[in-house]
Formats: sequence, structure tokens, C-alpha cells
Amino acid sequence: MNIFKKIYNYRELLKTNVKKEIRGRYKNSFLGILWSFLNPLLQLLVYSVIFGALLAGGDETYPIYICVALIPWTYFTTAISQAAFTVIGNSDIIKKVYFPREILPISVVTSGAVNFVISTIIILAFVIFSGVGLSWYIVLYPFILLIQYILLLGIGFIVSSVTVYFRDLEHIIGVVLMAAFYATPIVYNIQQLPHALQVLVNLNPMTHLINGYRDIFYYHQMPNMKMLLILLGISIVLTIVGYFIFKKLQKGFAEEL
Amino acid sequence: MKENEDNIAIKVDHVYKSFNIYYDRANTLKERALFWMRNKRKEKREVLKDINLDIKKGETVALIGVNGSGKSTLLKLMTQIIFPNKGTIETKGKLTSLLELGAGFHPDFSGRENIYFNSSIFGLTRKEIDERLDKIIEFSELQDFIDNPVRTYSSGMYMRLAFSVAINVDADILLIDEILSVGDQHFQEKCFNKMRELKKEGKTMVFVTHSMDSVKNLCDRAVWLSNGVVRMDGNTDEVVDEYLKETM
Repeated sequence: MNIFKKIYNYRELLKTNVKKEIRGRYKNSFLGILWSFLNPLLQLLVYSVIFGALLAGGDETYPIYICVALIPWTYFTTAISQAAFTVIGNSDIIKKVYFPREILPISVVTSGAVNFVISTIIILAFVIFSGVGLSWYIVLYPFILLIQYILLLGIGFIVSSVTVYFRDLEHIIGVVLMAAFYATPIVYNIQQLPHALQVLVNLNPMTHLINGYRDIFYYHQMPNMKMLLILLGISIVLTIVGYFIFKKLQKGFAEEL
Repeated sequence: MKENEDNIAIKVDHVYKSFNIYYDRANTLKERALFWMRNKRKEKREVLKDINLDIKKGETVALIGVNGSGKSTLLKLMTQIIFPNKGTIETKGKLTSLLELGAGFHPDFSGRENIYFNSSIFGLTRKEIDERLDKIIEFSELQDFIDNPVRTYSSGMYMRLAFSVAINVDADILLIDEILSVGDQHFQEKCFNKMRELKKEGKTMVFVTHSMDSVKNLCDRAVWLSNGVVRMDGNTDEVVDEYLKETM
């Protein structure tokens, strides 16, 4: 396929973009890169206190239970909301230079992945020091991450190109992601929900990714591989569809922006 | 006909381009729902009408014409920043556009870092940039300032750096829009010499400019665009003379 060759030719641009995004995120802030640890930690603290009191019923490992889900979730939401803005935010160079526009959403999703891998140190620190411990299932981490990456790529292609023509999407995404937080078993256990809601939550692709991360880090058990493979298939299809939408819409970028 | 195809660097085939001009643009869903009537108040302006142009490899072509005749639009179409409504444009070989110099320069990064970033937009790999770095810095004559942030540069220095990056990409096709006025007299001369050199190397170049002296100086063919159609196409001197006769 032509796209792979194009991306390969422009790999230096992809690399610089990813670097710029990681470095630029905390630029000029006093604590710098520390924020990528502090942010999820503080969020975690708030959720553990509030939802711990409401839902956990005295379970001491509850903060870990949230932690292993919250950090992949953060990757999910930041990647999508950044992807929605990336084409608009780079309108200056889009209007002036040719380069494969696909680089933009791809570098957002990739820099998010790098950040996520770094933040995984928090998960590891938590499970090790809390006594939950590690298990061999951790070798499945790259596989689950890959599915999430492909899923985000598909969503990224779609939201980054559609927002150019339909600016409301940026705000709609914010609301949808907020609702999706509660439609994903991050702070609660899916078993705590009434049956009808369980069905709904199970339709959410992130539910199965979160379950996967939780299985390997927290429960130390084999994730539901059948479910993950189905999700992988869906993600690949979504990415292909998303790419074609992007390819179609990108022709008008320079004029719309 | 077939054997000639290989010699063609840029093929513009029955290209039409029009822009929509909105008087009152609805950008959001709410506006679209409330003011859908207003959305109809747009006008279609045809900028290019049925342009056919074959530019051979190694040719140096000038696009001339008054403001608004569609020169820059045609150049943007060749760069693939915008796309035609009808017709096709094919280009063969690596292409660099010097349309907007310094696009994507990051003011807080140093000149050196910006060379890397800007070259990567042109599709160079790290290794290729490393190889060119010295040449680029030397050409820009910014040795003493190359590690300072670009925001501290004067506009002339900024343009010199941008031009040096773009000219050293080693593209087969160069598209150049009205930038023959980079820097001071000395640097302009240098640019001209560089372009002559590139011409000798057999690069294909397309210029958009209003400076008829540089057109006559550099180009072997001129295309006169008028109101979105090709008015005249041929030998530089003839086309330029005819153009000057008309517009003066």
C-alpha cells in the first residue's frame, strides 16, 4: 500500500512530531515532565477517596484497582481529544507545505502511547509496593497496548478530519468522553451494575481493554483472549475505514482551515 | 506520444479550480441549523478554467500574469496543498515548494533544530539532513547565530535560513513563488547563482514572479495566465514582451 511507503519516507517528520509533542506538552511548566506522573497520581488520589468511600466497602487494594484502569483510560481520552484538534492546530503548515497529512493524527496517537508506556511505571510501582505483585501475564501488555493503539488510530483519523468541517465535534467529544468514563468499569466493578446496564457497558470497546489490563496487572489471570481478538479485528476495520474518510476529507483541509 | 511521456515532469490535464466564497459562514451545527438559509449565500469563483500544461524535465518555466490571474493557485495545485475540482495534475520526482518560506519554523527552537524540523517536513531523513547540515548553514551565512532561537532572528536572517533549507533539499522539481527578493543584494545574487546552478543540473523549476527581469534572466519558457486561462505560452522573450505591451 502506498500509505506505508509515504509514512516511511516521512519517518523523520513523524519522529520530530512525536518528540515535539512529548517535549512541548510540559514546556515552560515548573515541574516539567514530572507532571506526566503527578497528573494521574493526583487524579487517582481523588477517585480513590471519593469512590473508595462510595463503592469499595473497605477494600484496601481499591486504589490499585482504579490505577490499572485509569492510566490506560487517560491515554484513551488525551489521544482522542488531541487528535480532534491536531489538524486545526497545525493549520499554518497545512496551508503552506505539502506533507502526508496522516502524519498528524498518527503522531498524536503515537506520542500518547509513549507517554502511556512511561506512565505504566506508576502501575508497576503500585502493584509491587502494595503487595499485589507481578505475574507472567504481564507479557501480554504489548498486545493489549497494540489493540488500543490501532483502535485509537481509527478514531484519530476520523475525529481529526471531521472536526475540520464540523467544529462542534471538538466539544461533542468532550461530553462523550466524560460519559464514556462512567460507561467503562474504571471506578466500579461491572458486576455491581444491573443487567441492562452491563449489556450497555459491554458494548464499549474500552471496557474490554480495561478488563484486559486489569487481568494482567491486578487479578493475575488470563485475559479474555477471544474478546480481545474480536476487538483487534474491529479496530483494524475501523482504522481502514477511518483512513479512507481521512483521505477523502484531507483534500479540502487547506481550503477549509 | 508515448516516448514523450517520460520526459514530462509536470502534467496538468484539463484542470478546473473554483473556490467557494461564503458571505456568512456557518461553522457549527447550531449555526447551520438556525441559518441554513444564509448558507446559500455563497458564490463560486472559477480561478482556473481548463488548464493544460506539460512541463518537461529540466525546463525552467515562469508563470506570469496580473494579480488574481490564478498563478499562485496553479502552483499550489502542483504542490498538492489544494486539489483540482476537475482534471488531474501529475508530477514525477521529488518536489519542493518554496511557496511560504519558513512555514513550520518554531520560534523557540534554535536555527539548527529548525533546519532539522523544516527539512523533515520536506521528507528528508535524519541521515540526509546530517549530510546537508553544513551546506545549509554555510549557504545561509548564519554560522554565528545558528544555535540562537529563531525568534531572535531578523526577518532577513529568517528568510535566508528558510531559503537555504528549501534549496538544499535536492528535489527534482522546485516550485518557487515570488521569493526572488530574499535578503539583501548580496544574498539575492547568491540565490540567483544557486538557481542557475540547479538549472544546469537539470532540475525542473516553475516560478511565479512579477519581476520580468528575473524571468528573462532565468527562464526559457513563460506561460501567461489571464483570468484563469492560458493566454500565451512559449519563448520567454516573446511572451514577456507581449505581456508588457498589454499591461503597460
